[in-house]
Amino acid sequence: MRWRLAGLAAVVVVCALAQLSVGATGASPGALFGADEHARMVVLELRAPRVLVGLCAGACLGIAGVVLQAAIRNQLASPEITGVGSGAVLGAVAASVAGVAQPLPMAVAALVGGVLGGGVLWVLVGGSGDVAVRGVVVSAVLVGTTLVLLTARPQLAGAVSRWLLGSLAGRTWEHLAPLWPVAVVVLVAAVLLGGVLDVLAVDDDHAHGVGLAVVPWRSGVLLLAAVATSAAVAAVGATAFVGLLAPHLARRFVGVAHRAAVPASALTGAGAVAAADAVGQVVRVPAGAITALFGAVVLVVVARRTGGIG
Amino acid sequence: MTPLRAERVHVRFGEHEVLKGVDLAVREGEWLSLLGRNGSGKTTLLRVLAGLLTPSSGRVLLDGGPLDRVPRRAVARRIALLPQSTPYVRGLTVRQFVRQGRYAARGPLGMLGEVDDPRVREALRDTGVEQWADTPLERLSGGQRQRVRLALALAQDAPVLLLDEPTTYLDIRHQYEVLNLVRDLQRERGLTVVSVLHDLAQAARYSDRVVALLDGVVHVDGAPSEVVDAVLLREVYDVAGSVLWITTNGVLKMVVVPD
Repeated sequence: MRWRLAGLAAVVVVCALAQLSVGATGASPGALFGADEHARMVVLELRAPRVLVGLCAGACLGIAGVVLQAAIRNQLASPEITGVGSGAVLGAVAASVAGVAQPLPMAVAALVGGVLGGGVLWVLVGGSGDVAVRGVVVSAVLVGTTLVLLTARPQLAGAVSRWLLGSLAGRTWEHLAPLWPVAVVVLVAAVLLGGVLDVLAVDDDHAHGVGLAVVPWRSGVLLLAAVATSAAVAAVGATAFVGLLAPHLARRFVGVAHRAAVPASALTGAGAVAAADAVGQVVRVPAGAITALFGAVVLVVVARRTGGIG
Repeated sequence: MTPLRAERVHVRFGEHEVLKGVDLAVREGEWLSLLGRNGSGKTTLLRVLAGLLTPSSGRVLLDGGPLDRVPRRAVARRIALLPQSTPYVRGLTVRQFVRQGRYAARGPLGMLGEVDDPRVREALRDTGVEQWADTPLERLSGGQRQRVRLALALAQDAPVLLLDEPTTYLDIRHQYEVLNLVRDLQRERGLTVVSVLHDLAQAARYSDRVVALLDGVVHVDGAPSEVVDAVLLREVYDVAGSVLWITTNGVLKMVVVPD
């Protein structure tokens, strides 16, 4: 198991190095140690924060996805269809419309939106795990509200579309500052909750039967997913499919026990965002567009090869 | 000593009242079987006793105190339930699943390590599923999975065992293996067992006491040899027939002969 996690980590490092190597100028990661001051600054000040923000955001989305899929026992659960992702986008966009530009207040606004979005859904489903249809409805209402907000301030549409699509362009050390502590905390918390997630993933009666108080624990882990999603969305926007795809790929590498599936999903999410941004910079489209395109295709291929998603 | 007691328990699903004032005291160390037609409320009563379902009125006492005030982990250390069926997570191995039975004893953080738990090993061995310990649940047959579910309930190491149709999906050999195992555990560890059994012969052979539900209340309550008769067949199951009691190899057995 440790070797498999180490293998995944190695893949993430390769993806990150690829991302660090691409950009408008020809600077390579080796420039960090070279004499060319300009190339060193490009790598250190432009590319390195972009890579690290992408890794942390991808890890957060991967953790949110694996936690959500266990907590609501739906293999198609992801930040996008649980109201959390679209709530976070709405929070970030509302903050933009209100004139907020700093990363930290933006992250707080996204967190409030994500928790409210997830909370609305939670109230609608009354504590049960039946979220699929209601989640789509809640997300549609939140995305609709976001678009109405954009109509009110059309001049922001260009900047705000980043949150709707997901992009790493222009990410700086300032964006990394509020993100990395959240990524570390949610990773540690989700790994520590691995045993709870294992039990929740089976069935409510089963969980009650073995002694787990379902509603408080599920509420807690959903809040954790909301925090992870909101932090990622505030930094890079709603990077589609990462939260859905990462847990499925991770479980294929390390199995379904969450003690291993959580870090594996974090690594897979981080690697996916890094790879998507590397490719996206080459073909000049945002990382979110790449994850949306390739995520859907990879998911279908995985499902067809194995006779199902899971 | 009464580990579990239901007092005037009513359960209503919408307009339909399934249980209409059930009073039942489960005695320590006995095997009590609930009998009754399909839909008579046996499973509902079992779920109420397990604390999975809150009665519309009335209450359940665990060791003399209200069950609904006992934290879930403490309940699970006292009561283990084998439900009729449990969904399974694809890829989850038998050992990983059975290990979840230790949640109440170990707590959320105690579930993290790959600590070798003797209770899990014992439960796997006792239920004969040791050879599939590292097999994913989806590769097992329905009967094998039923034994794995029993292993989970045993791993909880609770003194009260609630079994909802434990022989479902099992062939006749495994039916008797499972029932013999539960009887041995009941005797060796002094377990209290409450089961829902559809097979009257099995209920009569293994139970110390049977309770038949009819129209939402306890209709018959007593030792099998005293209360399982033609009258019970007719009143509870609406079946005309005879009940024959025979002794083979020193064991009293019962046969139902419909008219």
